[in-house]
Amino acid sequence: MLLNPLMLYLPQTSLEAAKLYKELEDSKVLAGGTFLLNSMKLLKTKGTKTARNILSLAKVEDLKGVTFQNDILTIKAMTRINELFESPVLEGHLNILHTVCRNISTNPIRNMATVGGNLTCRYTWTEMGAVMIALDAQMHFLGADGKEDIISAEDFFKNAARSEKLFTHVTIKAQVSSRVVYRRVKKTLHVDIPLLALCVKTDIKAKQWYNTRIGINNGVAFAQRDPVLEEFLNKSSSSPDLGKEALGHLTTAIYDTRSSEYKQHMFRVSLKSAIEEIVRG
Amino acid sequence: MMDVNLTINKKNIALNLKGNETLLEVLRDHLSMTGTKTACQESECGTCTVMINGNAVLSCITLAANVQGDEITTIEGLANGDVLHPVQQAYIDHGSVQCGFCIPGMIMSSVALLKKNPAPTQEQIEYALDGNICRCAGYPKIFEAVRDAGKKMKTN
Repeated sequence: MLLNPLMLYLPQTSLEAAKLYKELEDSKVLAGGTFLLNSMKLLKTKGTKTARNILSLAKVEDLKGVTFQNDILTIKAMTRINELFESPVLEGHLNILHTVCRNISTNPIRNMATVGGNLTCRYTWTEMGAVMIALDAQMHFLGADGKEDIISAEDFFKNAARSEKLFTHVTIKAQVSSRVVYRRVKKTLHVDIPLLALCVKTDIKAKQWYNTRIGINNGVAFAQRDPVLEEFLNKSSSSPDLGKEALGHLTTAIYDTRSSEYKQHMFRVSLKSAIEEIVRG
Repeated sequence: MMDVNLTINKKNIALNLKGNETLLEVLRDHLSMTGTKTACQESECGTCTVMINGNAVLSCITLAANVQGDEITTIEGLANGDVLHPVQQAYIDHGSVQCGFCIPGMIMSSVALLKKNPAPTQEQIEYALDGNICRCAGYPKIFEAVRDAGKKMKTN
């Protein structure tokens, strides 16, 4: 057996799941399973105890789907990465999410992994966090009492991606005029988890940058913003040298703490090219 | 122990499981359906690929009890009696099989792709098969087979 004994719970509704999420001790939530089951198997081989209770969201239909209404994109927690990738509702609104999904792992993983799992699994290297921060996404959580909490993605990751309530969906306001660029660098040729991921979003009027948000995932800490770089860019105008100049205005601790020389270099190459892509339009 | 009802290759199968069995373990160890291969068991290699509701997924990281009510298709469910599925036939016709260990997984990913898109571009084929590793590196012949099978599936 690859896994330790466990008790599987299969709620049918999000409220039932939220109640179990509160009640069950020694438990883990099973979304797509691509992180959880692998880690449980690994822990078992090391002789380490794993969660006794597994709360599966596989049969919770109201946690599935992508919609776009009144300029708000809603992605439910159990939406698979490939479902989001193939979703026609992204067309013309938040195409950047196509790019993000396209770059996650491999096809069978994308068929299994969920947006909710990627955001809440508490691995620091997952892809979605930086993008959701840059897009100023709002994360919705459901309590056992049926009450909803809404927390910005930025605050969620500042709080080390912890929550007392069940994550149900994320909402993003369509930013049709904004320019958004995403960059991701693989850890190694053969290990397809990101070494780093970053997302730059800005508005530009008469070449002047404003409302810039930079989401950074350095794989060491949870995804975060770079306030120093944002401040610099918000005082800047588009020019061919902007990418190069921006590298002198970084919160260097984000990029350089516990980073190899290669990673520090790739961060700068990625940021420079992302800013230059926005400048080129 | 828990009662688990699975639909595998259009057959309903009732099982009494502990709950911690992966679909891969159930297929191979409980049902002797050894066409689905086991190798890395950590979602890296793709040899254990099956289709669930038409999508290629990895049975090594799927809990069997979690896929009750879903349509599970394995390599054993593709042929129609003695007549191979067009993808299986194309893999033979194009000499796409070397050692053969990755092939059940490759074929399941290919079928899942071609059911949605019988005329995929090279990029789409590579996207769909990027989770299936062939240690013999026989990818060009595999891609040829997928393209050819797509044409035949479109015609039929």
